[in-house]
Order: sequence, then structure tokens, then C-alpha cells
Amino acid sequence: MRDPRSFYMLTVPALLFIGAFFLYPIALSVQMSFTDFSGVGDADFVGLKNYDRFVSRDRYLNSVWVTVKFTFVVVTVQTLLGLIFAFLLHRMPAIRNFCRAVLFTPAMMSFVIVGYIWQFIYAPYSGGLNALLEAVGLGGLSRGWLGDPDTALYAIALTHVWMFVGYTTAIFLVGFANIPRDIEEAGRLDGAKSLQRFWYLELPLLAPSITINVILSTVGTLKTFELPFIMTRGGPDRATNTLSLEIVNNLFGSYKFGFASALSIIMLVIVVVVAVVQNTYLKRRENNQ
Amino acid sequence: MSPAVRAISWKLAQALVVVVVIAMLMPVIYMLAMSFRTAEEITAQPLGLPTQLYLGNYARAIEGMGYLRSVVNSLGITLSVTVLVAFLGSMAAYPLARRANRFTKIVLLIVALGLATPPFVTITPIYVIFRNMGLLDSYLGIIIAFTALNLPLAVFFYTGFIGAIPKELEEAARLDNCGPWKIYWYIIRPLLGPATATLSLFVTLMVWNDFTYPLLLLTTPEKFTVMISVYRFVGNLNIQPDMLFPAAVLGSLPLLLLFVAFQRRIVSGVTAGAVK
Repeated sequence: MRDPRSFYMLTVPALLFIGAFFLYPIALSVQMSFTDFSGVGDADFVGLKNYDRFVSRDRYLNSVWVTVKFTFVVVTVQTLLGLIFAFLLHRMPAIRNFCRAVLFTPAMMSFVIVGYIWQFIYAPYSGGLNALLEAVGLGGLSRGWLGDPDTALYAIALTHVWMFVGYTTAIFLVGFANIPRDIEEAGRLDGAKSLQRFWYLELPLLAPSITINVILSTVGTLKTFELPFIMTRGGPDRATNTLSLEIVNNLFGSYKFGFASALSIIMLVIVVVVAVVQNTYLKRRENNQ
Repeated sequence: MSPAVRAISWKLAQALVVVVVIAMLMPVIYMLAMSFRTAEEITAQPLGLPTQLYLGNYARAIEGMGYLRSVVNSLGITLSVTVLVAFLGSMAAYPLARRANRFTKIVLLIVALGLATPPFVTITPIYVIFRNMGLLDSYLGIIIAFTALNLPLAVFFYTGFIGAIPKELEEAARLDNCGPWKIYWYIIRPLLGPATATLSLFVTLMVWNDFTYPLLLLTTPEKFTVMISVYRFVGNLNIQPDMLFPAAVLGSLPLLLLFVAFQRRIVSGVTAGAVK
């Protein structure tokens, strides 16, 4: 390249944009997190007070715990279910594309709409789920799914899995398709049954797809806001009060901009640490096989 | 098992999988079926099918949501964001894909951070910055916010795509004394069509369906996107089924149709981006 400077100039517009509306906001967030800024007027420096408040009140630690529990349930169920679907569809080429498209459909919908529909399905009186349970003679199980602190978080987690299991399945199907044909042939010639081939041959080779799926769904779920916001508003009894919900409540409910910023920074740290740890662990696992 | 029995049981197994997969669509079918029933019918029989093609719900929803207005808003915002993201992203990706040095490494690291950062981390400062700049409750503000949110993905996506374009294509142009800008505009950019198509579908999906940013940044009903209109129309405390279901259908339908039309491309684009 004759003129390297003009070559790199091409990145400048994007960098300016990312600098102004991504890096600068993060820096501003860090700065605001050390103040008692309330959205208007002056902001006083308060040192680590916001962070101290976070660790010393059960309420905020609880929101982290709710977020972690939710993420763990969603990632586990979604990965296993996606793996099962992909395993079946990989062996059923005749119905593969059709099923993949059907499973993917909910991911095309908005959290708002999915949240409202499922809120209605879970509704205690006129909702579809309880009516369905009555109809098949399991009326004893019916309850206000979102009104019960013991079931609310899992009900929302199920909705989240429903939305994104097609995504996980599609990624696993690409992983299956990347397995070299001769490995599968060799397994078949050795007389390995379908499940044996899956367990001893395919599952180890799917390690990279597992890494991608786990990291994508973890990062996507840790920030969850819309479904609990729409379906329960964080209730009942804060059972579904995730960290994102807490941020928005502090920001637009009580105008605690400083504290909301501290919560945002804590969230960023959690997401980055979890992603790095998962990536390191899962990559090492890939290489050991 | 004889081969004939085995073939039949394999067919049955496939049929079973199809049934299970279609059962996953029940909430969508439920939404569609409910939208044609009156509130009284639904309360009396939550699981019943529509007895007539009652369109009264739809008429009220279209009117109450300001549906046409909000569709135009969503389309305008989506289109602007797509153009900005595709242009800035592809231009930035060209040097990043062609050179590996300290500068490009740092930029790509920032991009990776942008991919992992939840929108909540930047929403508070964005709100403050926009208020100071007078960008709250404006189309320009929401377009900037969505562009910032999607630009890291675009840079990442295009960098991978340009990396796969053979360098030989640029060499002739370089001999003719073309600068980097001309090479980008006349050689690289035209080759990016398929990548831009996939990216556009992705951005459309994200902008159409997002609810958090417009909820916090827009206040005037005339400027609402489709999802905010759905949210405001349906309300939150006591959901009326005759408002919820038609609004849900109207909000989802444009993208579901897009999905049916471009299903292959969306799925392969999403998985290509993820697997790389």
C-alpha cells in the first residue's frame, strides 16, 4: 500500500461513532458511578458509596442471584434441548429444513409480543395453560404460574427457551454438518448404533458448537430485561427481579443515575468475566479431546 | 426387525418429531386463533376455535395503535440504521481485514467488547448525552442509538467476509494508482452485496423487535415504533385478550412474512456469524 495513512482513514468514521456513542458512554458511566447524580443538577463525588450500597443490601445481591439462576436454567435447558433436536434432525434429512424453520420462528418475534402472549397463557383464570391442564385431567396442577414466587422465574425461563431453542438447534446442525463424512461411515461400519456414534464420535466433535452456543446464550440471557419486565415487573416478591430490571427501575423509577451506573458497570464486569471464563474453559476442553 | 418394519417405524419416528416441533408453534397458532374471537368468547372458552372471521378486534387495534404511522416510523428507522451500519461497518472492515498490526488488533478488541456489552451498560449515559444534545424523543437520536448498538456486529461480520475475498482483485487497481478509498468503493463494496443482505435482515430483525431503547428514548406517540405502540396499546395491568392478540399479530406479521420469504438466508446468516 502506497499510503498506509489513507488506508486506515477508512476506519475513522466508524471509530468516531463507536468512540462517541459506545466508549465515551462507558467512561461516563464509570465516572457517574462514583457520584450521586440524580439526572438533574450537580453531581457530587461520593467515592465507592454506590458500590458499597450494592454489596451491603440483600436486594441487589438478590437481583444478581435471580439473574444467575435464570441464566443457568435457560442455558442448560436450551443447550440440551437444542442438542436433542439437532441430533434427531441430523438423522432425518427429509424433515430437517421444515423443522428447523418451524423451531426458528419464535426467534423472529419480539420479546414484548412473546411476553404478552405467554403472560396470557400463564394467566390463572382465562389462560390457555390452566385450561389445557383441566382438559387433560391435570387440573390439580393449575395455578397462577406468574403469581407464585416458586414458579414465576421458571415460567419466564421456559418462555425464553421456547423463543431461542431454534437458534441453538440451527447452530448445532451446522456443527453436525461439519463432521467429516468418513468418520461417520467408519463408525457405522464398525457396527456402532446411532446413540453410540453420537456419544463417542459426534459429541466430542461438536465441542466448538457447544462453546458457541453456551457463550451466546449466556451473554444473551445475563442481560435479560424484557420478559420479566413485561410478564411480572420483577415480582412476585422480587422473584424475577433481574439486574437489568433493577437498573431500569433505579434510572427511570427513582432517578438514581449514579447508582444505576454503578449497577451497569457491575453488570458489564459480570458479563465479561463470565464470557472470558467460559471461553477459556470450553476452549481448553475442546483441545483436550 | 425386518427392513419393512424398520422403514415404517422410522417414518413414524419422523412423524412424531414433526408433531413435537409443530406443537412448539402452538403459542403462535393460539395468537392467530384468538385474534379472531371476541373477548366474551375467549373468557367463556379459553381453548375454543374462532367460530367466525371476526375482524372487529383488528379494526380497533389498527386504529388504537396508530398502526400505519408506527409501521412507517419503524421502517424509516430500520432503513436509516441499516444504511449507516452497512456503510460505516464495511468501510472500517476493509483495513481491519487486510492488515494485522497493533492498531487493527486494538480496534477489533473494542469491537469484541461492543459485541459482549449489554445495552443496559450504555443506556444511562446515552440518555444523559442525548438530553444534553437535545436528541431525546427524536428520530435522529434513536437512529444514532441503534447504529451504535449494531455497528460492532457489522464491523465484525464484514471483517470476516472481506478476509475471504482474494487480494488479487485489488492488485490491478493498485497498479493503476487507485487509492484505498477507490478500491473500497469500486471493488470491495460491490462484492459485499450478499453480506449486506444478510446483515440487513439481521439489523431489521433487531430494530423492528427492540423495545427497550425506543421505550426509554421516545415519548411522543407520533414517533413510536411498532413495538412501543403494541406495548402502550396492550397495557400492562389487566390484559384484554381482544386487544392483545390482534396487536400481537399485527406487530409480528411483517417480520414473520419476511422470515418465510428469506428463511434460508436468515438461518444461514445467523449461524455463519455465530460459528465463525
